[in-house]
Amino acid sequence: MKFNRRQTFAALGATLAMPYVRPSWAQAGSVNIYNWADYIGETTLEDFETKTGIKPVYDTYASAEEMQAKMLAGQTGYDVVGHSGLNMPQMIAAGVYQPIDHGRIANWKDMDPDVLAMEAVWDKDNAHGVPYMWGSVGVTYNLDMVKERLPDADLNSLDVIFKPENAAKLADCGISLLDSPTDVIPMALRYLGMDGDTTNVDDYKKVVELLKPIRKSIRTFDNTNYLNAIPNGELCAVNTWSGDYLVARSRAKDAGVDINLAYFVPKTGAPAWVDVLALPSDAKNVENGYAFLNFLMQPEVIAACSDFTGYANASLAATALVKESIRTDPAVYPDATVKSRLWAPKPYNEDQDRAMTRAWTEIKTGG
Amino acid sequence: MNRRPTFLLSCLMFGIAFLYVPILSMIVFSFNNARLATVWGGFSTKWYGKLFQNDQVLEAAFLSLRVALVSATVATILGTCAGIALARLRRFRGRTLLSGMVTAPLIMPDVITGISLLIFFILLGSWIGWPAERGFTTVALAHITISVTYVTTIIQSRLSQSDLSVEEAAMDLGSRPWQVLRDITLPIISPAILSGWLLAFTISLDEVVVTSFVTGPGTTTLPILIWSKVKLGVTPDINALATIIVAVVTVGVLIGWAILTRSDRRRRRDMRLAEQSNA
Repeated sequence: MKFNRRQTFAALGATLAMPYVRPSWAQAGSVNIYNWADYIGETTLEDFETKTGIKPVYDTYASAEEMQAKMLAGQTGYDVVGHSGLNMPQMIAAGVYQPIDHGRIANWKDMDPDVLAMEAVWDKDNAHGVPYMWGSVGVTYNLDMVKERLPDADLNSLDVIFKPENAAKLADCGISLLDSPTDVIPMALRYLGMDGDTTNVDDYKKVVELLKPIRKSIRTFDNTNYLNAIPNGELCAVNTWSGDYLVARSRAKDAGVDINLAYFVPKTGAPAWVDVLALPSDAKNVENGYAFLNFLMQPEVIAACSDFTGYANASLAATALVKESIRTDPAVYPDATVKSRLWAPKPYNEDQDRAMTRAWTEIKTGG
Repeated sequence: MNRRPTFLLSCLMFGIAFLYVPILSMIVFSFNNARLATVWGGFSTKWYGKLFQNDQVLEAAFLSLRVALVSATVATILGTCAGIALARLRRFRGRTLLSGMVTAPLIMPDVITGISLLIFFILLGSWIGWPAERGFTTVALAHITISVTYVTTIIQSRLSQSDLSVEEAAMDLGSRPWQVLRDITLPIISPAILSGWLLAFTISLDEVVVTSFVTGPGTTTLPILIWSKVKLGVTPDINALATIIVAVVTVGVLIGWAILTRSDRRRRRDMRLAEQSNA
């Protein structure tokens, strides 16, 4: 085992170059997509490649903050990015996304005008984002456990959670709130009969006062773990996003757990959310980006996405093609009454952001 | 009278349980028939089948292995150079600065390393056009940056324990510096090089924070993929993959340990022989 210098370096060079030897798809055309994990139809990407010959590269992020930090830094190399509508104003102001030519998306005409109107609150004239999935903030109840403790509760009302005497009764079966001030605080403001979009930051103090007496009854503030905790029967009144209730139900079914779940949007009003797809300003494959959006917005394609994710899409033409169990579930596809309870919260300014974060810390620590 | 061994033994058992019970439960649940991670639904190997159909996970795993291979190798080379320099060049201009700078990344929070690398790559991209796009190269470079510190520290401490006079003797007998390095220094530190490489490999394989800043299109590493799947709950095929990785790592560590003990034994024997012939 004696090597001279040249042999050593040659061997090293060859070893290090090895990982670079791989098929290159750059010249065949590709589109780089950045989105939540599993937030697309099961076969959408393969179908897209078969149909157009463009290679889709699907990368995932773990948190919206991580994605936003990278988008703001720029030069990400992505062509299509999944983004929450609520955070679009900052991104548009920073010039992260380019305006979208609606004429290049053949099925733009199918878009639900209600969803477009909500998205327009964050993105004037829907100029920068194509609405993808949308839904509401509400409460998922384990009906059997809640009925046992509060037989005549009106589950359409947030009294069930926000009244201290009710919360105390539910404390042993588990109350959870979303760990997301931008979802909980506006909902609580509306419950108190105030403007959910208030710019008077002193109003947040009233929310702190509201939640203080029930803090000890709240088991956890959480955005994801409830997907397993609900089927396990560890929680009974869970503040969730609309689609999560379906996920929890199907998990319970898979595990053979018999559970009776229901999702309610509070009658005092709750924030709606719309996730959009946007094209970064520095996207390299804009043509392919449009090709992808165009493909995705076809009714049968976007319906398959809803089938897999359990969220409602924004295309009216696709509704009839979505799996019946999802399409007819008022939690996912709300009826007119529930839809009238939803509103798209106005974007927050920096003062609100700061005050909200402070109020949230107080709420969580029991201030 | 027999108290102490019992106490120590229970400490040992507790420590081992603390380390390995979580891994063991993950292995057990990879054979779970149910989709829920916490409800036992009977024995099944279906998640292993699912895993090998899941291209996304397999691609990510393969990418992570390639990154780990490249970054561990480069980091070991650079770390060995730095370690030898710090241990052998007793005094040179900027020695304190270099040794301080080499160990600084050890205590630097990952987030800061990540952000600074991200900004650096973006600036570099706009100045000289490279890297035009973040991806495999930038991830590998970031991992090298992190792990080179560990390798340097290992090599340096190994060399400071060994005897400088052997190298001086070889030099006196007419060896050129390259021959001294190849025939004397490298064999002495070869166990350290191997353990440095293994450490760098492991660091690269499970690095999340820095990686998430410097990845680009098509380079989602395994830890990032798993982390991003948490939003919708981790599926048991990840348990299956983790079980396979644990198995591979266990075999790797056993082989590495066997090689290390063997070379250590040989070194001791050689030293004893050398002492005897001196006497």
